[in-house]
Amino acid sequence: MELMTHTGVVGGEEEQIASEYLTFTLGSEEYAIDILKVQEIRGYEVPTLIANAPAFIKGVINLRGIIVPIVDLRIKFNLGKIEYTPFTVVVILNIAGRVIGVVVDSVSDVISLTGAQVRQAPDFSGSFDTKYILGLATVDGRMMIVTDIERLMTSADMELIDSATV
Amino acid sequence: MAIDMSQFYQVFFEESEEHLAAMEALLLDLNVESPDMEQLNAIFRAAHSIKGSAGTFGFTDLAETTHILENLLDRIRKFELGLRPEMVDAFLGAGDLLRSMLEAHQGRGVVDPIAVEAISNRLRLLSSESGDSVQESAVMPGLQVETPSCRVFDIQFVPTEVSVEAGGVENLIEELRTLGQLEILNRPDGEPAGVGFWELRLTSPHGAERFNEQIDFVADNGAWRISEEQASAGDGETAFGFFHDNPGAPEEDPSYGFFAPVNVVDSPAQEDGEAYGFFDPLPAPATPAVAPSEESGSGIFAPVNVLPDSSSVYLEEGDGFGFFVPVTTINAAREPTVSEEGEGYGFFTPLPSVEAKPIVKSEEANKVTSKPVHASERQSVGIRNGPSAVSDSSIRVSVEKVDQLINLVGELVITQAMLIQTTSQMQDSVPERLVNGLAQLERNTRDLQESVMSIRMLPISFVFSRFPRVVRDLSAKLGKQVELKTLGETTELDKGLIERIADPLTHLIRNSLDHGIELPEKRIASGKSPVGTITLKAYHQGGNIVIEVGDDGAGLPRQKILAKAKERGLQVSEQMSDSEVFNLIFEAGFSTAEEVTDVSGRGVGMDVVRRNIQAMGGRVEIESMLGVGTRMTVRLPLTLAILDGMSIAVADQTYILPLSYVIESLQPEAGDIKTLSNQARVMRVRGEYLPVVVLHEVFNLRSGPVDFTQGIMVVLDADGAKAALFVDALLGQHQVVIKSLEANYRRVHGISGATIMGDGHVALILDVSAIAGMARTIMQKQAEG
Repeated sequence: MELMTHTGVVGGEEEQIASEYLTFTLGSEEYAIDILKVQEIRGYEVPTLIANAPAFIKGVINLRGIIVPIVDLRIKFNLGKIEYTPFTVVVILNIAGRVIGVVVDSVSDVISLTGAQVRQAPDFSGSFDTKYILGLATVDGRMMIVTDIERLMTSADMELIDSATV
Repeated sequence: MAIDMSQFYQVFFEESEEHLAAMEALLLDLNVESPDMEQLNAIFRAAHSIKGSAGTFGFTDLAETTHILENLLDRIRKFELGLRPEMVDAFLGAGDLLRSMLEAHQGRGVVDPIAVEAISNRLRLLSSESGDSVQESAVMPGLQVETPSCRVFDIQFVPTEVSVEAGGVENLIEELRTLGQLEILNRPDGEPAGVGFWELRLTSPHGAERFNEQIDFVADNGAWRISEEQASAGDGETAFGFFHDNPGAPEEDPSYGFFAPVNVVDSPAQEDGEAYGFFDPLPAPATPAVAPSEESGSGIFAPVNVLPDSSSVYLEEGDGFGFFVPVTTINAAREPTVSEEGEGYGFFTPLPSVEAKPIVKSEEANKVTSKPVHASERQSVGIRNGPSAVSDSSIRVSVEKVDQLINLVGELVITQAMLIQTTSQMQDSVPERLVNGLAQLERNTRDLQESVMSIRMLPISFVFSRFPRVVRDLSAKLGKQVELKTLGETTELDKGLIERIADPLTHLIRNSLDHGIELPEKRIASGKSPVGTITLKAYHQGGNIVIEVGDDGAGLPRQKILAKAKERGLQVSEQMSDSEVFNLIFEAGFSTAEEVTDVSGRGVGMDVVRRNIQAMGGRVEIESMLGVGTRMTVRLPLTLAILDGMSIAVADQTYILPLSYVIESLQPEAGDIKTLSNQARVMRVRGEYLPVVVLHEVFNLRSGPVDFTQGIMVVLDADGAKAALFVDALLGQHQVVIKSLEANYRRVHGISGATIMGDGHVALILDVSAIAGMARTIMQKQAEG
């Protein structure tokens, strides 16, 4: 929590309010998501396959009686080495009243970021649309991609939610 | 009064709805010519409870309407007015109105003030009618025991704030004025207005039971008292005028011996209200002893408190009765068996029917053979105590909590299965005690699961109970005479299904009434009884619940349906079987009714019925014979939460097939599977060519050529469409708890849900209709291609 010292930066009132973020890595990239969306972190277990689902949807698992879909973001964004070991981590998110599991390479830290610390990301096109990126933050010389995980997970690309367009 | 009443509103709404439903059921059941006292009392109690809680919660409109309703009911149950059919109609109408008021308070719909006014006037008119003539027609003898002499009551009370705000005190005073001459001795002038000490003096020929309930409403328990002026009731002998025939009546102040035992009963205070009423018919009933005990008296509806004693009450009953007649018994009862006597006394208190007692008394006094009376009394009390004991032993729990419980038990079952699997892998190294403990755990969890699942099960009478009203109203509207018979009301099914089956069943019954049952003249002409019968029957059959709606009406006209179907351009032929023809009535927009009534005939309804029932995983069948009747049979799974499934293996995955769709499974031999245009595969099973669905191809689980001899073919019947599903192996048969896949994910074609297996893994449940559909589309595609 050495980063707490950064919270005193001058700026608008909103900019000074620090929120906590969970950071995880996908390949060599580091992502930060709002910690309030995270329900728990658990090890990977082999999910039950869902027929004809996209490859990044690994299937569903039983999380204490709830059927939870598992998404492998490494496959979705084509990052990192896709292997499943006992150390593979699943971040269970609670988004829009749904529970979704996300496979990432590793979970690194919980950090505090103020609005001022999050800079706008430049526009670029790629598999990871900038509209899901709230901004970029630098912590200890590392770049964190601050992600709007709710928007990402509820988007049509993720094919997680029934919508009129699907 | 910082309590937020709104948190109790929901409970109030639910309770009031239940009371209304109970009232309606009782009203419909009531025999107008000779109403059953118990039923009248029960109706009165229902109305009374609604009024009480409505007043407490400040729903004045409800309280006022119920008040009028209650007044009329009260006069009827006291035999001041005779019950007439139009009263029942008015009560039912009032019940409907109260229901709509309740709904309006919950934010659904609005109440028509004109209708409220109309029904109030109707009830007032009915209750203001003279009761003189009725006295003659009163069924029970010995009722005219009311003393004509005026009695003076001192009424003191401190109303609650809520009731003052709701105008309860004004109502009370008005009410008391109708009973006799009222003097207001003390009126509080504090703020808020009316909250404070009130003192009234009432001179009335009526007993205190006529108004002590009302006072109980406006004041808290213990915050009111009624004492009768000691004008004539000075000495013990007058007070016990009751005993004046008995020369051996005890000399000492008898009131003590009489009332003291009451205190032995659980909550004597509450019985005292009744105790008082009990003396009411006596010429000079009040005794000095009455007043003090009245102080703590709080109400009439205290039968609950007596229940714990009910068993002994029956036994002591003889004593209780004996108390009134022979002197010897009195003495016996007053000596060492004082507490028994008290119970004997308590026996009378739960009976709200004050009127019933004079009969017993008079019969006893006349030394008429009193045994039969006792017997019937005992029975009626036994019956009364029965249901109230049942209702008191239930609690209201939200469905959410029950569902949570079910989920938790599901968890437990899975954990237990995991433990057993672990120990079985440990083989010999497992201590025997652990194995035994686990075996017991398995038994216990299974029992627990069954009990928990049964919480959600409700008797189908919850649905059936609404139909007598539907039939009554509708048959009156259509000018038909219809009797509704219900069988198997105790058959239980899942609460979720109960809620969803009500509408389809209502449709079926309306349909039977409108189209099935003929008009009385027509029925007589065809040699039938003018009264038609609609039979509602529920029973279990296999893993299904079957609900039949039968009528002895005209039956379905096959020719007419066929003609109508042709007219509508449906594909029909004369060769169609009866059931196929009858099933046409489930087509959308299909109606053979010549004219559209507001009951049915628009052609909407039956298709909705079928769709709703199918959505519940059930199906509906029609049997009909022209001129004899029609029977609609609805088959539903027992529950939406559990399914009998067959687990099958495909590649490394396990799927669940709902067992109800599986007809048979067989091992195909080489050459059994034929191809159509070298693509679509069919298999000949018992003379029929069935499309073959290869599950691992449909789900893209494995590629490569299929060796049909290495697997199992499961023959499925999905709503008439048959298909053969090729899987790798059958694993077993389970009862599985259905979990939604859509809660956190989305719909998957070919999958209807998910479940958790014993090892904690998720298994998907196959949607058989969709899979059979896949077979058809494959066939079509290939036939076209």
